Amino acid sequence: MHNDSIKKTVGVALAVCLVCSVFVSTAAVYLQGIQEKNKHLDKVKNILIAGGLYDKKADIQKLFSEKITSSLIDLSTGEALTEDQYTDKLSPKTFDIKTMAADNQLGKALTDEQDLAGIKRIPRDMLVYSVMNNGTVDKYVLPVYGKGLWSTMYGFIALSNDLKTIKGITFYEHGETPGLGGEIENPNWRASWNGKIAFDDQADLILQVLKGKVIPSSPDASHQIDGLSGATLTTRGVGKMIDFWFGENGYGPFLQKMREASSNG
Amino acid sequence: MANKYKEVLLDPIFNNNPIGLQVLGICSALAVTTRLQTAVVMAIAVTLVTAFSNLAVSLIRNHIPSSIRILVEMTIIASLVIIADQFIKAFAYDISKQLSIFVGLIITNCILMGRAEAFALKNPPLISFLDGIGNGLGYTFVLLFVGFFRELLGTGRLFNIPILPVATEGGWYTINGLMVLSPSAFFLIGLLIWALRAWKPEQVEED
Amino acid sequence: MKFLRNLLDKQDHLFRKGGKLELLFPIWEAQDTILYTPGKVTKTGSHVRDKMDLKRMMILVYIALIPTVLMALYNTGYQAHLAMAQTGATSSGDWHHALAAWLGIGVNPENIFSNMAFGALFFVPVYLVTLAVGGFWEVLFAMIRKHEVTEGFLVTSLLFPLILPASIPLWQVAVGISFGVVIGKEVFGGVGMNILNPALTARAFLFFAYPAEISGDKVWVAVDGFSKATPLAQFADSTMQVTATWWDAFIGLIPGSMGETSALACLIGAFILIVTRVGSWQIMLSIVLGMVGFSYFLNFVGSATNPMFAMTPAWHFVVGGFAFGTVFMATDPVSAAITDGGKWVYGLLIGILVVLVRVINPAFPEGMMLAILFGNVFAPIIDRIFLNRNIKRRLARNA
Repeated sequence: MHNDSIKKTVGVALAVCLVCSVFVSTAAVYLQGIQEKNKHLDKVKNILIAGGLYDKKADIQKLFSEKITSSLIDLSTGEALTEDQYTDKLSPKTFDIKTMAADNQLGKALTDEQDLAGIKRIPRDMLVYSVMNNGTVDKYVLPVYGKGLWSTMYGFIALSNDLKTIKGITFYEHGETPGLGGEIENPNWRASWNGKIAFDDQADLILQVLKGKVIPSSPDASHQIDGLSGATLTTRGVGKMIDFWFGENGYGPFLQKMREASSNG
Repeated sequence: MANKYKEVLLDPIFNNNPIGLQVLGICSALAVTTRLQTAVVMAIAVTLVTAFSNLAVSLIRNHIPSSIRILVEMTIIASLVIIADQFIKAFAYDISKQLSIFVGLIITNCILMGRAEAFALKNPPLISFLDGIGNGLGYTFVLLFVGFFRELLGTGRLFNIPILPVATEGGWYTINGLMVLSPSAFFLIGLLIWALRAWKPEQVEED
Repeated sequence: MKFLRNLLDKQDHLFRKGGKLELLFPIWEAQDTILYTPGKVTKTGSHVRDKMDLKRMMILVYIALIPTVLMALYNTGYQAHLAMAQTGATSSGDWHHALAAWLGIGVNPENIFSNMAFGALFFVPVYLVTLAVGGFWEVLFAMIRKHEVTEGFLVTSLLFPLILPASIPLWQVAVGISFGVVIGKEVFGGVGMNILNPALTARAFLFFAYPAEISGDKVWVAVDGFSKATPLAQFADSTMQVTATWWDAFIGLIPGSMGETSALACLIGAFILIVTRVGSWQIMLSIVLGMVGFSYFLNFVGSATNPMFAMTPAWHFVVGGFAFGTVFMATDPVSAAITDGGKWVYGLLIGILVVLVRVINPAFPEGMMLAILFGNVFAPIIDRIFLNRNIKRRLARNA
């Protein structure tokens, strides 16, 4: 049969498509399970890093299920959602900040005055994690995000169970300038957050991200963070992100609830 | 005959480098070379996809109607790329996150189409396969060269292992921020081409 | 003098083709040219664009740069002394300060000599490193390519220190000028073939490679850890007040790169360049026009969130190295446009881009550097369009 006859052309096209699709779908189906697991492990890893629990050698899945509980909380009331309130779209399993924020029902738009962090929309509910130690909460790991210079920076902040002290910070996604704003990944800088006081006794937010270096002898040093040198706008972005998420439109109501609970209990 | 196989396999590394001489596949060479680890994974993926697409095209070369030649090649390449992407996502998740869309973009890498069109359509399977491996090695060589300098100078590390003690962490080496940005790959590839052509003047194009 | 000439001529054969020291010919030739006018004239190369030869042109640029160099010395010392007087420190910093103390240069912002001497402690080492390292590459390439060392590098080597902050580490100067000479010039084939200004290329390299040492608030004053923002950075930041007066900025008593701060010194240089016809007044004027026009336009558009929109042309003119770039960088005859119409388009493009980058881009107050490099890249295309138009017009006329 001549190669360029219509019959052969159609035949070859069909055969190639058929063979290719068999290969592609086989690979996709067989590998999907592993991929899903990877995605999950990656998220878990970041939470563990923020919670200060990450250990390269440990089985992170086991560590996570032993030490960490997660709950969806309604940002406006600070109440945790009960399991019967979960839906297909809204549950700890499916939770994803970006899709939730973009969703008409599950997310909400911020007004210019509210939008300190420059993020336009937030989810109505956020998935927060508690690091448990012998049955009591040791620290809270809160997802946060805010605009830096070029990109939206996504990360977690860990807060101690006294609801005042920062226990860690980590960023898992951003597009800041390498060497300048990109230094938000720098382990030394991240470690400098550890132990800083975020709220005073009146529960007012006092944590500040400075423009320059913190003067260690200053009385304010305990609630100040070094700015990243040469990255004024990224630094300011981090500061505003803190202001927003620790404010009334962020985790304010949730933290208030927790404070009341701990003073009563 | 053995000589010919060797030539097909090794020629694309220095004598007929797909990036160095033909200046193909530059886009991914800029995007994935900030770290050696990603560069290696990308290089392996491109090498294997080129080799197998060459093999597949060559196997059916006598049956491909010329009117849908390009479509058939594209379908084969695209399928292989998707499979490669799935494998990387499954077995090297961290790296797949860094490579993001660039694995998928192997489809648009001119080296693949170029080899399928220029070589596999006219040659038997085994030598086409070797040609794919050879061109993949040429691509690998450039990626490793660029990746080596970008990671070492840009982060003080190689394969994420600290080599030069970095100043922000108390060492003496000040990170070169340009190396982390894409233009540095242009400079490095330019310097490589310069060096290659100084070494092998026959590669210089006539004005 | 005749004696010296004879002496040189006697040795000459050693360096010619086949001579023992053939490889060193470029160095031999360079010293000969510095001492005497060369015996032959340029035959090839695109740098011959009018009757002035390269050497005379470069010397005139050198002379035009003198006011900025003097201001660089003075202001570098002045800013440092001012900062030290403010903080009360007598010596805070590295070896520069130790050397200054040893030499007995007092800390006194009122004393012109003290300021200039202190400034020289910063400027001179940077200049020497530039000369040594850049000169090394020049000679190396001249030896490999078997051509002569050209005077072009002398100007590049003086421009480069002027556009660096005083506190720049010397090794970065060396790395920067290496990149500028090799990538900015030699890869294109050497003097006259480069499309970018080598000094600016070197600075752009440092700016992206080591941003911490060449941008921000900490680098402009030669006192360790002392932070003082440039007026341009103050404009960009709504939380900061602009502390300098316009006249300070015009005269050059503001923090900034060593030789860029004084618009006045640049104007004197511009006068010399224009009178001697070394620098193109069309380019300088069109850059200023582009800047004035576009910044008025942005003033008119306005912005609630970006204070840079409100910056007036007068301020644009005196800060951020605008004057220096306009007079000395954009007019570099090798990398600028050369057709008459092209010069205007090239200048307007740079003038508009400066304002655009400064105002719209939050990260780069270095608008002038980027705008000129961008202009350089477009210069050949602009020239080509004008040349083709002329050719077409002439063809039509003769048809």
